[in-house]
Amino acid sequence: MLEVTNLHARLNDGREILRGIDLSVKAGEVHAIMGPNGSGKSTLAAVLAGREGYEVSEGSVSYLGRDLLVMPADERAREGLFLAFQYPIEIPGVNNMYFLRTALNAQRRHRGEPELDAGQFLRIVRARLKLLDIGEDLLQRAVNVGFSGGEKKRNEILQMAMLEPRLAILDETDSGLDIDALKLVARGVNEQRSPERAIVVITHYQRLLDYVEPDRVHVLQRGRIIQSGDKALAVELERRGYGAAEEAA
Amino acid sequence: MNAVVDFPVRPEARPYLEAFGRDSLARAGREPDWLTGYRKGSLARFAEFGFPSRRSEAWRYLDLRALEQRPMLPAGAQRGGISAQIRAQLAEMALGRPAYRLVLVDGRLAPALSALEGLPPGVWLGSMAAAITERPELVRAGFEALSLDAARPFAALNTAFFADGFVLDIEPGVVVERPVEIIHLSSGAAQGGSLHTRGLIAAGERARASVIESFAGAGHYWRNDVIELNLAAGAELTRVALIEEAAEAWHFGEMLATLGAGASLSSFVMLLAGRTVRHETTVRSEGEASRCELNGAFLLSGRQEANILTTVEHAAAGGETREVFKGVATGRAHGAFQGRITVRPGAQRVDAHQLSRNLVLGPHASIDTKPELEICADDVKCSHGAAVGDLDEAALFYLRARGIPDEQARRMLIEAFVREAVELVGTPLMREHLLQRISRRLASSEE
Repeated sequence: MLEVTNLHARLNDGREILRGIDLSVKAGEVHAIMGPNGSGKSTLAAVLAGREGYEVSEGSVSYLGRDLLVMPADERAREGLFLAFQYPIEIPGVNNMYFLRTALNAQRRHRGEPELDAGQFLRIVRARLKLLDIGEDLLQRAVNVGFSGGEKKRNEILQMAMLEPRLAILDETDSGLDIDALKLVARGVNEQRSPERAIVVITHYQRLLDYVEPDRVHVLQRGRIIQSGDKALAVELERRGYGAAEEAA
Repeated sequence: MNAVVDFPVRPEARPYLEAFGRDSLARAGREPDWLTGYRKGSLARFAEFGFPSRRSEAWRYLDLRALEQRPMLPAGAQRGGISAQIRAQLAEMALGRPAYRLVLVDGRLAPALSALEGLPPGVWLGSMAAAITERPELVRAGFEALSLDAARPFAALNTAFFADGFVLDIEPGVVVERPVEIIHLSSGAAQGGSLHTRGLIAAGERARASVIESFAGAGHYWRNDVIELNLAAGAELTRVALIEEAAEAWHFGEMLATLGAGASLSSFVMLLAGRTVRHETTVRSEGEASRCELNGAFLLSGRQEANILTTVEHAAAGGETREVFKGVATGRAHGAFQGRITVRPGAQRVDAHQLSRNLVLGPHASIDTKPELEICADDVKCSHGAAVGDLDEAALFYLRARGIPDEQARRMLIEAFVREAVELVGTPLMREHLLQRISRRLASSEE
């Protein structure tokens, strides 16, 4: 589903952040990318989602057999790529429900499916809210405005559940969450696990992986994946720290 | 008619003087002498002032040359029935819910389209032409109070030429529950001409009402509207202006309000369409502890030009002013906001705040914003803020990252930006109507 080959990316000011990433994710898999602050985790997520401000200087990314890097961000999303933001953006004046429906309908239009009216949408979103144990009041507020940290992350998971992506990238969705919120995020992710879908969980801590069991774990350090393994690697990292992983590499 | 040209006459005013002379026979005997007197006096002032120059602070952001070079003379009464086009305009602009409605077509009352039945006792709503005979003292007092200075030449021109308009007179203590809508339409028959309308709202002590005035039309015309608001002690009035003129039309709106003690005015001005649109609000807070909320927005594209001006003069103590204005310009459009708040000596404990926020989208669009505070009392709280910027890139990316196409995401953010100001309209029906018109406008400007 996703083939990242020798990906190099730098910021507009010239600093190279990604220095040759190789990553292969197949449908049905859950991958965890772990690494210390500044290792390039969020840059990888941003480059995959198509955020401006980065220059890919080398390498390629293939998504569902297509060149991902030439697609604008909104097209990537309509093709089923979803990024859960580390810091969800507040948008005053845009109602959360209207935002979700507009997003879902943009994707449905793209797939040639009929758009949902307000009533149809409400039925679907209510079912998802119940599943994720999220209060309906979240829909009536402006997107992320005045949301607590936990509410913002829940809102990201709700969007993922509504949009049903092919490839979901969760950028430190677990950071800053208490244990209940963490379990809820994990539930949302586990609900989304399916043979047709791939999930990439980017995280600093092993904590989330107690609830979301990854098929593969990668260690990102200074813009490169220095080690890959199964879930046992995550446990080892938690015990020995990222320094040990670097020495071993 | 030579009496009026004993004054020095500015050349651009001459065609209007001649038009006045031609109409004088038709006017004779149809109007009371006192009105003719005001008309002549005002015309003389206009002849003396002429068109404002760009050196005049209140007119520096508008290019009036096209209007100055080619006179747009007052349009005469149109004959014939109500066209399908007018009915379509009305269907677009009407609130669509129970409201007292007065419709003016080409500047004159259209009784067949109006709905004035069931007004509560103590409320008089009708055309200006009717008010001149039925409410002469009220109308006269309005003319008497209006000071004509060189910065308001078109208010003088309006007095000379207005054909009709409306008057809403509310007795003390009366609450008008339903909204009042005044709809100005133009059929296109006034092609190349001007439409002068005059409004007057007099709210007695503790009276309460909400009024929306909508302006729309077809063709190339110049609408020159003047409205006076008189709020007695404790009166509460909401006045919304929705300006959606024809793409080639000019619109000048002049609103003059006087607030008594404890009176409260809530005004919203939405400029959506028209070639050149200017709306000026002047509020005199004469009674203690009055409250004045002036909000508004313009949404400009193509080669549109728009200018919103506000002046609030606090002449009494304890007054409060709140202003929020939002501007959006795309294409080659140019917008300007000029807001002045004056606190006279002795007007202590005035609390005034003004905010002007603007979005300039694209390299050829521009917006000027010019706040002015003039404070001559020491115990006051006055502040202002002004910003001109672009759409929030982070918000735009967030929407796009959910699959919303770039153009649509931009429209959503523009709408949200304007919505923040519209949310301040206290009457839900009017607020929803404005939001709908804004959505329509944004959807129609889609490339």
